[in-house]
Amino acid sequence: MAKIVYVEHQGIEHVVDVPDGWTVMQGAVTNGVPGIEAECGGSCSCGTCHVYVEGEPAAGLAPPEDTENAMLDMVAAEVKPSSRLACQLKVTDTLDGLVVRMPASQG
Amino acid sequence: MLSPQFRFDPYSPAVDADPFPFYKTLRDDFPCFFSVDAKMWVLSRYDDIVRALNDWQTYSSAKGNLMDELPNRAGATLGTTDPPRHDRLRGLIQHAFNKRNLDYIEAHIRDAAREAIAGFAGKRTFDFVEDFSSKVTVKVLFRLLGLPPGDDHLVRDKAVLMVQSDPVTRQKGSEHIAAFEWVKNYAEKVIAERRAHPGEDLISQFSLAEIDGDRLSDREVLLTTTTLIMAGIESLGGFMTMFALNLADHAQARRRCVDNPALLADAIEESLRFNTSAQRFRRCLAKDTELHGQVMRAGDFVCLAYGSGNRDERRFANPDVYDIDRKPKGHLGFGGGVHACLGTAIGRLASKLAFEELHKAVPDYARVEATLPWMPSTTFRSPLRLVLARQ
Repeated sequence: MAKIVYVEHQGIEHVVDVPDGWTVMQGAVTNGVPGIEAECGGSCSCGTCHVYVEGEPAAGLAPPEDTENAMLDMVAAEVKPSSRLACQLKVTDTLDGLVVRMPASQG
Repeated sequence: MLSPQFRFDPYSPAVDADPFPFYKTLRDDFPCFFSVDAKMWVLSRYDDIVRALNDWQTYSSAKGNLMDELPNRAGATLGTTDPPRHDRLRGLIQHAFNKRNLDYIEAHIRDAAREAIAGFAGKRTFDFVEDFSSKVTVKVLFRLLGLPPGDDHLVRDKAVLMVQSDPVTRQKGSEHIAAFEWVKNYAEKVIAERRAHPGEDLISQFSLAEIDGDRLSDREVLLTTTTLIMAGIESLGGFMTMFALNLADHAQARRRCVDNPALLADAIEESLRFNTSAQRFRRCLAKDTELHGQVMRAGDFVCLAYGSGNRDERRFANPDVYDIDRKPKGHLGFGGGVHACLGTAIGRLASKLAFEELHKAVPDYARVEATLPWMPSTTFRSPLRLVLARQ
């Protein structure tokens, strides 16, 4: 279980307890946090769960794999060094306190 | 704990007509219930269904996802494979269904709706299924998949038949299997033609696609295409019909949508929650699993009753009330997890535009028949006929 701090583009914060094994995307969608569309349900094939990760736990994340990088090329908003696809981020205790900022648009 | 009194029989016409009282008993008294009639476990609470959807390692789709699976289909389609192969297959198809890639089809959807409406102009009553949702759905899907014109009504009839089950024999009947074979043969011809003369359309791309250097097997291409036709036609048509039923039965909600068409998006979400056509799908356990004091064994099948999770009072307040102001985030109307419906964006878009056009021509309507002829299906739920009268 980890507390994930989702921050909407306008700055509204949602702190959600997300179970281990879930993805950061699932934690948002299942709890009604706006800003993530996840049209493909977490198959790394639509680029509509694009987020910017911040905070200390972000530094410990494994880097994106090829399929995630390929989809990051297709996202709607600006890609930054902190850009990730939320469906590819599996939650563990070490992500406690991760800050997840939403871009202005997913598509 | 099995109850000698309570049964949940998804083959029963009573469940086709109104599954919701059965779901409530399941949620409250038997949250992990073995149905002897369906020969599988039934999960009915929202949290349990979401957990299963998000745990494909335990709740596998590789042995089929329809309550009554079609012969030799499991393992060769998006809905019946597990990650990582599922994700690679989905990656080949998803782009055609993404919201940002659907602008081109908007005018086509409106034209299809207007043409259907013109067909019953001047009539006081019309069958929403025959005269509207079937026609619009077939036109939209043929355009989306790039299917050749002609045969469209036949394709629609077969697609709707192949998802049904026989309530007496409790399995697919010969007419349902024959419909499946017919759609498969139809898909085979389209694929052969596209491979010979590839274009920009989805089926051309998919039939020539490779995963890790290997071309998809003929069986994967054929059954995935067959499933796209089936799911597209049955699911979109079925959902639009349920949406029309809800707006016919809830006049105040309909009037608000007519006055302010922007509210249609909210009404669509509430309909997806309230009584969407995709009521129940199936998984197979990959390992022994204990839930609510019951031990389910590896190899057992498990029904995920989305329609019940969507009425779970533990998740949604006053769940049996149709409330277009609810904005029900996280509903299970499109399933969830990696197998969440491929067509969410086109389903929402087509429904919204079709009803915008319908409401311009027919703003006030009511249901004519108090009792509806429900489709016999263990997976989907929608009426075969919905006669509406202009008011």
